[in-house]
Amino acid sequence: MPRKPNNALSKEEILSLFRTYQGTKEPEIKNLLVNAHLDLVHSLARRFINRGEPLDDLVQVASMGLLKAIDRFDSDRNVQFTTYAVPTIVGELKRYFRDRASTIRLPRGLRERSHALNIAVQKFSQEHGRSPSIAEIAESMDISEEDVIEGLESAESVSVASLDTSSSENGDLSLLDIVGGEDKTLKLLDERLSLAGAMSELGPREQNLLYLRFVEGLSQTEIAKQLGISQMHVSRLLRRTLQALRQNLTTARETR
Amino acid sequence: MSLDSEDVVQIALPQREDSAKIVRLTTAVVASRVGLNLDQADDLNTALDELFRLFLNENDPPHPRFYVRYTIGAADLEVVAKGISQNLFDDSSKMNRFSRFILEKVADKVEEIPSPQGGYEVVIVKSLSA
Repeated sequence: MPRKPNNALSKEEILSLFRTYQGTKEPEIKNLLVNAHLDLVHSLARRFINRGEPLDDLVQVASMGLLKAIDRFDSDRNVQFTTYAVPTIVGELKRYFRDRASTIRLPRGLRERSHALNIAVQKFSQEHGRSPSIAEIAESMDISEEDVIEGLESAESVSVASLDTSSSENGDLSLLDIVGGEDKTLKLLDERLSLAGAMSELGPREQNLLYLRFVEGLSQTEIAKQLGISQMHVSRLLRRTLQALRQNLTTARETR
Repeated sequence: MSLDSEDVVQIALPQREDSAKIVRLTTAVVASRVGLNLDQADDLNTALDELFRLFLNENDPPHPRFYVRYTIGAADLEVVAKGISQNLFDDSSKMNRFSRFILEKVADKVEEIPSPQGGYEVVIVKSLSA
């Protein structure tokens, strides 16, 4: 979501926008309201920066809270929107950390196995030019197929690196740099599926990832090789990106 | 344990968010038994996840169960997922267009069959060849 200054609208203008939005549910009005409160989103997201999560992710979560607050706010009540929105956005951020806490506390053995699996998959893919089957990973690691499946599943629960996270295989370059910047192809995909802008709410890098996988038709292993990250990492990023896009489509439908 | 050609694995799950994980694990086990590589297995899981989410769509009429049947053929793995009365091929919904696009990209065949119970069975076929 591009950041714009929020001092462009007065309190009266914001209240007027809310009254119009509550009557019409016009997406354009909602966008104006969102843009008018992006500073609030960033400010609240920054309060949680010392908890080990990338700011971009926190801003995304806080933005979801803002969208909920806009939809639920009743302008007839004698309360300022920010008074109403702050607890909603903070609640969304807290819920995010609570949900993550329930998934990332894996037993050390599982974490180690997940890490070893990642290495085994990368090694096999480099040697054979394709991703391995579970049986092939099990054989190379001398563990059971059930242990491989358990490890892969636990890897799903491990924190998904942000696209801003540095890729160890690529020195100081962030994944953001590797995947690329603005890409016109994303717009094409959005237009092709007539998604009416749902795609544009994703970051350009997430859109590029979708483009590489679903338009260019590259396999996860091929994308991993191109980006210098692991296949398992690509798998997790794709899953998260698809979830985000689904969420955008659902939100768009709810706000229509 | 290995699965032979014409073996069938079936699961029936409550249509709830937490069932998605069971579908994913079952798919991983079946994919492993038939020798799919991680790319192919993940494609199948992406397809089933997409269908599962589509069937969970809150605007759809309630349906208590999500069924998945994996049939191992000599050259492919056929997966039939049966959900609620959602017409995947109805192009008026953005969600449907998106889901079908993803499904057609990750599966070798996607087909929708009206169910006598009023729902739709969605058949996904994944080739076993690399």
